[in-house]
This record gives sequence, C-alpha cells and structure tokens, in this order.
Amino acid sequence: MSQTENLLKRLPNDIGGLPAEPIQRVDHELEPWEKRCHALADVLDFHKILNTEEKRRGVEALGSEMIGKLTYYERWIAAFANILFQKGILTPTELARKMDEVAARWGDEPPHPPA
Amino acid sequence: MSQHEHDHPHAEIGQSERPGYYDMMETAVRELLIEKGLFEAGEIRRQIEVLDSRTPALGAKVVARAWVDADFRARLLANGRTACEELGISFYDDTQLIVLENTAEVHNLIVCTLCSCYPRPVLGLPPDWYKLKPYRARAVSEPRAVLAEFGTHIPDDVEVRVSDSTALVRYLVLPRRPDGTAGYSEEQLAGLVTRDAMIGVIPVTAGEAGVSR
Amino acid sequence: MSGIVLATGEAPPFRRGDRVRVMTRAPVGHYRVPTYLRGKSAVVERVIEPAAIDNEEEAYGRNAGSKRHYYRIIVPMTSIWPNYAGSARDDLRIEVFETWLERIAS
Repeated sequence: MSQTENLLKRLPNDIGGLPAEPIQRVDHELEPWEKRCHALADVLDFHKILNTEEKRRGVEALGSEMIGKLTYYERWIAAFANILFQKGILTPTELARKMDEVAARWGDEPPHPPA
Repeated sequence: MSQHEHDHPHAEIGQSERPGYYDMMETAVRELLIEKGLFEAGEIRRQIEVLDSRTPALGAKVVARAWVDADFRARLLANGRTACEELGISFYDDTQLIVLENTAEVHNLIVCTLCSCYPRPVLGLPPDWYKLKPYRARAVSEPRAVLAEFGTHIPDDVEVRVSDSTALVRYLVLPRRPDGTAGYSEEQLAGLVTRDAMIGVIPVTAGEAGVSR
Repeated sequence: MSGIVLATGEAPPFRRGDRVRVMTRAPVGHYRVPTYLRGKSAVVERVIEPAAIDNEEEAYGRNAGSKRHYYRIIVPMTSIWPNYAGSARDDLRIEVFETWLERIAS
C-alpha cells in the first residue's frame, strides 16, 4: 500500500472535519489588485474562457505548499496563468515579458535579467 | 484601475509604490487578454462596480422584507433567487439561492468546506475568516463549538443544520426576527441585520448599530 | 402528456424523501464531494432543477454535454462524526451530483 496515495486521494482543499484551531475573526479590505483579480475571474467566467470550476481545480492543482503560502487572490492569479497556458491562450514567455514591461513602468530594473 | 479611455497602459492611478509580484501578474494577464481581444477593459471596470454594489445591506433588505411580508417570505423560501430579483437584486452569475429559515426548532449555518462559495450577489464578498481553514474545517464537524466561539449558544432541543456549498446552490440564512421590534419600520429592521447573522453564526438582536458586519 | 419521450437525464431518478448512499470512489485530480461524505447514507431533501453539467467535468473545460441533476441531501451529523458533540438531531445538508448517488433499497 502506497504511503503517498492519500496525497492524491485527498485534495488539499478538502478540509471539512479536519482538526483546526479556534476561529479568528479576521478580515481585510481588498486591495485594488485583488478586486481587479476577482473581476477578472468573473469576466473570464462570463465569456466561458475560464469557468469558475476550472479556477477551483487550478487552485487545487497548485499543490499544498503553494496553497499554504500564497494568499487567496495570489492563488487565483497563479491558477489563471497556468490554465491560460494549458489552453494555449497565453504562453509563459508572453506573460514573463509583459510582467517585465509592467515592472519597467515603475522605473525599476526588471525582476529578472532580460532574455 | 485606469480612469482614462485611451488604450496605452500606464501605471495604475492612485498607486504610489511599486506593485507586488502578484499585482503585476494580474495587470500583465489582464492587459494581454485585452490585447488579444478576449474582452474589453470596460468589462473589468464594470464588474468592479458590480462587486462594489453588492454588500450585506442587500441581504438585510431581503430579510427585513421577509419579516414584514408573509407572502414575500413564502416566495423567498420557495425560490431565493427570483425573490431577490423582485427587489432588484440581480444575480450576475448562474448560481441559485436557497434561503434557510431559522425557527424556534432549527438553526441554520452555512459554509463552503471545499473553497469559498458564498451568496455574493446578495451579500458581497465573504470575510477572510469564512475562507480560512478553522471555519471551513470545523463548521461541519463541530458547529455548536464554532457558534459558541461567536458567542452563540443554541439549546440542545434546537436542531443545528449546516449547509455545505459545493455546486450551483448558494445559501442565505433568514435569521429570526428579534423580540422587541414590533413597531419597527422595514428600514429599521434592515438596519439590525448583519452579515454574520445571514451566515448563521450570530442571531439578530434589537438595538444593534445599523452597519452590517 | 402521452407520446412525450424524455431525453436522457431529464427525469431525475431520485425524489424528495428517497434514501440514497454517497458512493465511495476516490477520484484524483478534482472532485466536489468531500471525503467526509463518502459512503454515507442520506435522505433527499430536494431535487435541484434544472439538470446541469457535472461540475467535476466542468473543471476540465467541459461546458456542455449530457446533464444530470444535483440533489440536496440530508445526513445526520452522528453518522458522519464518530464523537459528534451536539444534538442527535443536528444534520448536514449538501448538494451532490447524481453520478455520486445510489439508491438504498427501502
């Protein structure tokens, strides 16, 4: 019997009934980019480019470590990128170049050396 | 979001410091998709306005109307979405709404253990605690302990029903109308109803401040 | 009305009050039936209309095709959690797709 099969059989988000800590009533006002990210999800779903269930699967597919370390909307945008690559709508190179271009608007060096 | 109508992108208005990594990723993804013609910038702006317009005040109106109008209450319990639409609360997605009535015998609580399903068209966006592990893990397995952490104690002779969202249906709790509100106007009643009462973690009490939480 | 033939999936096989069991299969990749629910016996509270796409397949981009029904089912808390600390009348209600349910003979 494989010792790792539970990693496959139980999704990282399938947490109903697991032991957990007391609830902390935390909340935060969405940052502008988070709100844009949510709006992006809705617009993508409306256009059937990337539906809500695909987004959920995409977040699950990030795996436990990323799910644990990225915040809610960070997980969404990472999942969107992956799914858009899978669908051939964007390529990793395109996105990387565009991110460099966005970073350059702030007058900084790109986050990584140019290609 | 840019307030200008021209097409060439520039730094987001109102931002004075360099955006974080994920912020820039969102900008990059959005701009690429717009360049490719998959949707227009105006659609994102519009959807942000839609999201901003959805707050717990909408749900509070629905609850207050149900408290004062028995026929509306019956329609609401039969079909939550169409009853909300009667009040002008449109649903911008394909979800349905089942309204769960709290009574002397039954107390309802809603959760999404697998992700963060929530009745967004009528309540706005969920609070962080609703989306984090402690609530999602424990609301289905120890609801009474969870309720107690919110200061809510349900007697043993009252049934606790937990609804876990997984697919097309979203839930809204119709809390019990508090005692001492017989003379209240519908607007005053709505002012008592909080977001957390419509999730089911706390009751509605008379004399609360008017801001929905 | 006589002469009407229903398409596959149009008529829900389960109705309010039916006793059903949640299947125990363990998919990898994506699922929308929590592990805590697998194998549990339940009663159908209501049929969700209309028939709809299987969301577990929708997650892989399948936006159209054969539809079945979702059902809101009732499961007693005491049958899910071995040491449930609450009233024996407490229950859990959850929406489950048709392909996850089998009828319990009454």
